Amino acid sequence: MSARLSNVRDHIAGGSDAYHTNIHEKRPDDIVIVSAHRSAIAKGFKGSFKDVNSDYLLLEFLKEFFDQLPPQIQNHKEIIGEVACGNVLNKGAGATEHRGAMLAAGLPYQIPFLAVNRQCSSGLTAVNDIANKIRVGQIDIGLACGVESMTKNYPLKDPLGLISDELKNNKAAKKCMLPMGITNENISSNFTISRQIQDEYAANSYNKAERAIEQGLFKEEILPLRLPNGEVISTDEGPRKGVTSQNLSKLKPVFIKDKGTTTAGNSSQLSDGVAGVLLARRSVAEKLNLPILGRYVAFQSVGVPPEIMGVGPAFAIPRVLKDVGLTVDDIDIFEINEAFAAQALYCVHTLGIDIEKVNPRGGAIALGHPLGCTGARQVATILRELQPGQVGVVSMCIGTGMGAAAVFVKE
Amino acid sequence: MLGYHMQGYSGYGVQYSPYFDNRLAVASGSNFGLVGNGKLFILDIDPQGRILEFNSFLTQDCLFDVAWNEAHENQVLVAQGDGTLRLFDTKLKQYPIAIFNEHQKEVFSCNWNLVGKQNFVSSSWDGAVKIWSPQRKESLLTVVPRPMDVSTMACAGPQVPMSNQKGHADIAKNKNCIYQALFSPHDPNLVMCCSGNSYVTLFDSRQPPTPANQKSFLAHSGLEALTCDFNKYRPHSLVTGGVDNCIRIWDLRMVGPSAASRANASPAVCTNEIVGGHELAVRKVSWSPHHSNILLSTSYDMTCCIWQDLGFDGRRSTGRTNSVDPRRGCRSRFAQHTEFVYSADWCLWGQPGHIASTAWDGNVFIWNAFR
Repeated sequence: MSARLSNVRDHIAGGSDAYHTNIHEKRPDDIVIVSAHRSAIAKGFKGSFKDVNSDYLLLEFLKEFFDQLPPQIQNHKEIIGEVACGNVLNKGAGATEHRGAMLAAGLPYQIPFLAVNRQCSSGLTAVNDIANKIRVGQIDIGLACGVESMTKNYPLKDPLGLISDELKNNKAAKKCMLPMGITNENISSNFTISRQIQDEYAANSYNKAERAIEQGLFKEEILPLRLPNGEVISTDEGPRKGVTSQNLSKLKPVFIKDKGTTTAGNSSQLSDGVAGVLLARRSVAEKLNLPILGRYVAFQSVGVPPEIMGVGPAFAIPRVLKDVGLTVDDIDIFEINEAFAAQALYCVHTLGIDIEKVNPRGGAIALGHPLGCTGARQVATILRELQPGQVGVVSMCIGTGMGAAAVFVKE
Repeated sequence: MLGYHMQGYSGYGVQYSPYFDNRLAVASGSNFGLVGNGKLFILDIDPQGRILEFNSFLTQDCLFDVAWNEAHENQVLVAQGDGTLRLFDTKLKQYPIAIFNEHQKEVFSCNWNLVGKQNFVSSSWDGAVKIWSPQRKESLLTVVPRPMDVSTMACAGPQVPMSNQKGHADIAKNKNCIYQALFSPHDPNLVMCCSGNSYVTLFDSRQPPTPANQKSFLAHSGLEALTCDFNKYRPHSLVTGGVDNCIRIWDLRMVGPSAASRANASPAVCTNEIVGGHELAVRKVSWSPHHSNILLSTSYDMTCCIWQDLGFDGRRSTGRTNSVDPRRGCRSRFAQHTEFVYSADWCLWGQPGHIASTAWDGNVFIWNAFR
């Protein structure tokens, strides 16, 4: 009798929720990444993309992106349920010109378009937006992009907006207008992160990127883009050769002249670039026999004090890991956007992340940080860094005081 | 809704007669089937809509399943807790006409071959599936589904938790238990079974019962797989239910060649699943005999549910899953039982949608899925 009774007890007690968070299990409802690519990242103002705007970049990128997709999608673009595109600096986040670029690239007008702007996380937020729509069944397949021409749009008057005079007396609102470099100086002074280790971190980022380019590690994720003059761009322009912390230490602080620590050398570069991620429900991807690069698992964004906005990942990463029942040690690779060396170091140290796992092919300090593109760029990169079965986290800090993080599994 | 109460007995199995449109057989056990007698009820539905006892047979141990003889209108088979299967003639009283005694532990299921009609299959807590002929006392074939050995199961995918149950740390427990075995309604030689080690296994009864001739896949994430069924219209479509509270729909064409036998093989992926449809383990699943994308489930959560498989629209695969529907594809839910619902069966007769269900509350209810 006792065996039969415990048998029934096991049936009732067995179905706890805990195991449902096993992110390695493949399920038909999974949101999978069919394809993720990016353009080369060009230097702002003097790089290869300096004469074209973001809509041109998006148009050329989408043409290339669809050319490399299997014919099931190339010939049936109408199965895409939505295109979401992250962008920060264009007026209205590029809602008009990027819709135009999408149509010019041969996507039928029946596919709706959405412009997304959550500052530096716009590309990742677009991925999350598409994933959520797939999850609830609004769409089956969707394209998330991010594009930015800092060359063309950063010099515009007040590119990041202004707050009204009425709000300027409000302390909290005023903090949203702090220059990003100042928020980083706040972090380096509040949490005593020395100029020297910032420069070492930045030099390391340059060296990693230099190595990755030498070994051709970016070849798979970069789609070559053709400029109007016929030139084809397929190599990142940000990384310099032979950067050391010694030669970075000679640079002058930019934001606080006398005792600041943030220099052009240990900050992210102004850049132009575009990236895209095609997502689908696994059941649909399998029905259409589409390739599966990896799986989107979860996303979270959090708010942090605007005056130290760079701490965002230190709060967003634990938040999203809690959702999926993992710890920092379970993650194989972190792509943490290097807005500045100090804020990246703060996050890595606070979370106790093994530095070897962070941005193994270099970060925004070396590669560049085309604001709205970055999140999607990191997804394309991390899916090449991970081995099948490994788990990766993409994260970034967000101006005005936020952080975002997402979990991906390579298949 | 029609009802019948089996005083002092809890229902474990119910099946409509394939010969009489008003006859049911119900397997039951006293004391919730944990200890004591079992009783086989033969129930008739009279023209006034009353359910009356036509005959009954008291047995020495609890009965866990029932199957009508497809080739004889008066014969009904039961699976008994003492390891025997017993064949009764409903025209006779008291004693079985045949006893099949080979299983070492409780027999949990029995199923008559719908195509061949000459044999039946049984499954037991002893870890074996046996195929029998009513003409012979000894079984025709004994199959021990792979992977029974826990050390080989660990290879099935390093990331899959074999179980989160503390009790399962002890490998001798329900791991070996084969909860259900049944013949395909399309192929008289194809048998499927599901077991406490979470695997579903298929084999052809004409081949030697070696592991190489079996096709296994991990169906419920390491938690016990309690029930399975073949789709009556799509030979390659299966449904399973288990302790993870999920119902999963599988396409045999997407289940690799004996995924469990290859080390590091990635587990098969189901084509559709119904998550959160039941609050507790799913005890029985059964595809509709009238629709290719409708199925029935019963659960420890005391309800029966009718689901539409949104992954198939009646003609072709849609690529959709039930999670995208706000009701998860639930067409109706029957909540009249007041205890664990162990079994239910679709009526083959009359208007499609009539269902007989039985539960630990001792009730047999007849209701319509679409009303």
